[in-house]
Amino acid sequence: MAAGFKTVEPLEYYRRFLKENCRPDGRELGEFRTTTVNEFGAPPTDAPDKGYVVPNVDLSPLCSSRFRSGPPGEEAQVASQFIADVIENSQIIQKEDLCISSGKLAWVLYCDLICLNHDGNILDACTFALLAALKNVQLPEVTINEETALAEVNLKKKSCLNIRTHPVATSFAVFDDTLLIVDPTEEEEHLATGTLTVVMDEEGRLCCLHKPGGSGLTGAKLQDCMSRAVTRHKEVKKLMDEVFKSMKPK
Amino acid sequence: MAGLELLSDQGYRVDGRRAGELRKIQARMGVFAQADGSAYIEQGNTKALAVVYGPHEIRGSRARALPDRALVNCQYSSATFSTGERKRRPHGDRKSCEMGLQLRQTFEAAILTQLHPRSQIDIYVQVLQADGGTYAACVNAATLAVLDAGIPMRDFVCACSAGFVDGTALADLSHVEEAAGGPQLALALLPASGQIALLEMDARLHEDHLEQVLEAAARASRDVHTVLDRVVRQHVQEASVLLGD
Repeated sequence: MAAGFKTVEPLEYYRRFLKENCRPDGRELGEFRTTTVNEFGAPPTDAPDKGYVVPNVDLSPLCSSRFRSGPPGEEAQVASQFIADVIENSQIIQKEDLCISSGKLAWVLYCDLICLNHDGNILDACTFALLAALKNVQLPEVTINEETALAEVNLKKKSCLNIRTHPVATSFAVFDDTLLIVDPTEEEEHLATGTLTVVMDEEGRLCCLHKPGGSGLTGAKLQDCMSRAVTRHKEVKKLMDEVFKSMKPK
Repeated sequence: MAGLELLSDQGYRVDGRRAGELRKIQARMGVFAQADGSAYIEQGNTKALAVVYGPHEIRGSRARALPDRALVNCQYSSATFSTGERKRRPHGDRKSCEMGLQLRQTFEAAILTQLHPRSQIDIYVQVLQADGGTYAACVNAATLAVLDAGIPMRDFVCACSAGFVDGTALADLSHVEEAAGGPQLALALLPASGQIALLEMDARLHEDHLEQVLEAAARASRDVHTVLDRVVRQHVQEASVLLGD
């Protein structure tokens, strides 16, 4: 009976639940898989001390029937750009750390995020996956041979990246211009009248705010969102620390 | 060939297996709730994920609809991080298209397409880590995913690769053995009837040796079938427990 009601009046179905302040299903995030691959590149001429970090989000028809095969669609490109902005603004890693020899050689980190199962809220999932992958990166030591001017890579000595901040993204879906839901699933995103993503780091600094159109929000609501993002950051940070501790023996 | 010895005098391969021995297979069905059918398989270090959507209405041009059967659409994609060096194009390149076509041909032989005319069945396969035998892993994962989706098939489709070194046929080649450059054969088998759905080999092999290699691949495919059968039964058992039967 509930299932029939759901198809006929999806919005009403959700409204009933929202009144009770609960959700009809367990929160499910789209699964993500990231890896970062290291490669050598020449640093850009306008910033000879910096390396590159190249993020790429891949939303294939594998994860949802919404996506078509072929060149990256709109959603994938927006997500890739969002991740690039988060990396840039939150300064997870200093690009200077990636430089091996000023003006000549620097590391290029390719971050490939592949979505395996899309159930809404990809931006949050992307940010976590990226953070976890960056924590896992091990860069081998590189020395430039003075005589031959070639790089010598020492695979035996590897060092981890210096992660400065831990940005955590929190997404909200706006319903009826008033109600806000944290961490929307795909159905909720589809029915929502707008979305908002807030990226905070551990010191309560705002790294990125992403509100692509949709219904308007008052300033008070926005403040409310940001305080919720701070609490979410604490929860997520605890979870992440547990995971990283269990990953330690390597 | 100097350096790596693919088959030692005692009959052990590089990773310690015997000539006809398969790598360890671990598989799970129903990994994603979003898709109609999904499966994940690990054959040694090769990891493949298959997702099935369908049968559903034809996407795109209605003209492609077949009046008496379903259209099977396969896409093969290998992740940029699946190989040692970063792959620039995960899909759309020639090898991926060829693999997609081979998978489609394999599954058109196995799926009972007459039961779903004018509709489309999508099979997406993603290789997460490639360590040899990617075609075989894809076929095995896709079989489990199609079964998970409840699409009727004639039989399981089990695949395995085989090679030939020093007069012995090797089953289930790893990347090291494939890269060595000897003849390689990929076989997709329907185990109950013993029918071959797909057979592919592009290398020089004397016809006297063909039967030996084919036999090794067929035997290995049947071993794969035993494993997959067990996985399916276990999955069904777990599902019926959850449903409270």
